[in-house]
Amino acid sequence: MNRPARPPDPHTAPRRQYVTAPLVQSTRIGEDYRIMSFDVADAIAARPGQFLMIRGANWGAAPLLARPMSYLAGGPEPSILIRVVGEGTTRMACARPGDTFHLLGPLGNGWQPPLPHRRPLLVAGGVGVAPLLFLARALSEQGVRAVVAYGGRTDQDLPLCDELGHIADLHLSTEDGSRGTRGLVTELVEPLLGPDTQVCTCGPEPMMAKVAGLCAAHDVPCEASLETAMACGFGVCLGCAVPTGDADYLYACVDGPCVDARRVDWSRTGRTAPASAARRSPSS
Amino acid sequence: MTSQVVRIGSLELKNPVLTASGTFGYGLEYADFYDIAELGGICTKGLSLLPRSGNPPDRVCETPAGMLNAIGLANIGVEAFCAEKLPALQARGVTVIANIFATGAQEFAMLAQRLDQEPGVCALELNVSCPNVKSGGIQFGMNPELCGELTRAVRTVTSKPVWVKMSPEAPDVVAVARACEAAGAEAITAINTIRGMAIDPRTMSVRLANRTGGLSGPAIRPIGVRIVWDLVGALRIPVVGIGGIATANDALEYLLAGARAVQVGTANFADPAAAYRVAAGIRQYCGERGLSVEQIIGRARPDPGSGSPS
Repeated sequence: MNRPARPPDPHTAPRRQYVTAPLVQSTRIGEDYRIMSFDVADAIAARPGQFLMIRGANWGAAPLLARPMSYLAGGPEPSILIRVVGEGTTRMACARPGDTFHLLGPLGNGWQPPLPHRRPLLVAGGVGVAPLLFLARALSEQGVRAVVAYGGRTDQDLPLCDELGHIADLHLSTEDGSRGTRGLVTELVEPLLGPDTQVCTCGPEPMMAKVAGLCAAHDVPCEASLETAMACGFGVCLGCAVPTGDADYLYACVDGPCVDARRVDWSRTGRTAPASAARRSPSS
Repeated sequence: MTSQVVRIGSLELKNPVLTASGTFGYGLEYADFYDIAELGGICTKGLSLLPRSGNPPDRVCETPAGMLNAIGLANIGVEAFCAEKLPALQARGVTVIANIFATGAQEFAMLAQRLDQEPGVCALELNVSCPNVKSGGIQFGMNPELCGELTRAVRTVTSKPVWVKMSPEAPDVVAVARACEAAGAEAITAINTIRGMAIDPRTMSVRLANRTGGLSGPAIRPIGVRIVWDLVGALRIPVVGIGGIATANDALEYLLAGARAVQVGTANFADPAAAYRVAAGIRQYCGERGLSVEQIIGRARPDPGSGSPS
């Protein structure tokens, strides 16, 4: 499929592009994870923390929607880290080099530049490591060695931890104790917090909620990369609403995905939270 | 090149492809991907008198060849639209159909009055069929009498063409549309989403916080085509077809059924250039057959005169 004609826009340069790109390489990490890289030629390069929407060129009417994925790397051959969980990611995992995908990106705002005189502490859970490894690499290029707390259910759920170990001071945890400290990654965080720390976190929502709480308690700045269901990725469907403290919503795709964790009302987030509430009061 | 121009009542469109309300933001979001003025027009996100923040999450989930949404008509409000969005749309030469939503006839009339002053708005589309809000919305769209009264209330305060968007869940969609026609509607849009529900066995809970949501996407296209077919046979005013259009072939089903224009909706999410591709594909189809769009409208009908301008 050809790229659609896009006449130059006198008002704004394009902030994102919709391209059809071949899969260059798919690398398997254990049963559940893949690193996939694409050739996007001269498309706009992504910054750490930004994301793309990806959909197989041969998907037809189902699965219908593109999948939001954080960039693992930017540049002319960007990559993503996927965890095989459903129909879309299963199809993606089966793709071979040369298969084509529609990519829309870069989307969202990415991580804020590091604050002066602050030590970055990155807190990752499972597949949430992708935008943080991208960030750790960027920091490393600037001569900053980040501290990383990285947790997963088992040692199979710590993809790319060796790569991370080369460029950061790594603290690992697994729930079953198969690697690193036994327990949750959030238990590693508190001892690592100092008065000059700044935290960037990405992972399951309960993990980020806990990290956000710890940072607030220690008066440490914290940025969280939000993940929600979304249909479009660029502020149109309004599906990716995240509750904020002022009883309103922010949109993960355009206000995030990286947001100041203090903006989020973590007590009202959680994919199952509203549904569970509904189940508790069936007559409401 | 064969003519792609169609008339919807008093409004002339450069081609029959519009974008559906709620799937195209305020239009400008798509300006990175193509020149949105090349479309027949755009229908705005449903506008209310005051801004609305919408429903709690989760608001969307994917379903087989479709999706459920329960956004709750989140929008910036009519004043912000007129001040911040409309001038840019006008400058680009976009044909703007303002989709409006209110909880009662009086509020609908106030919205219509406000937009009547805006030369950049070419027509109003009344959303009487949103399944995701507690009051207003679908209650009007289910009832011919209410819907007719509402149309009349709006009709009397605006000189702009009034379109009314049908719910496929009305017990008698044709009766609702006829009431709108009698009350002065210039066109009928069909269909809005159909209420559905999804449950996640892993979490044992409903997927949408609103529990139910509107089903859209290719899954509903046969329902839309059937309803449009019925409406075209029963009405004198034009019908605008919508429901599950992702490709030119999908759009052609509606045009051949007698719709005088189509709206591309959910497909805009998965492919930001979808509406542009649909318009290009229809142009190519017409070109290959040496037919204008006017000549293919209603062509699949045994009574091909239906769907022609009255």
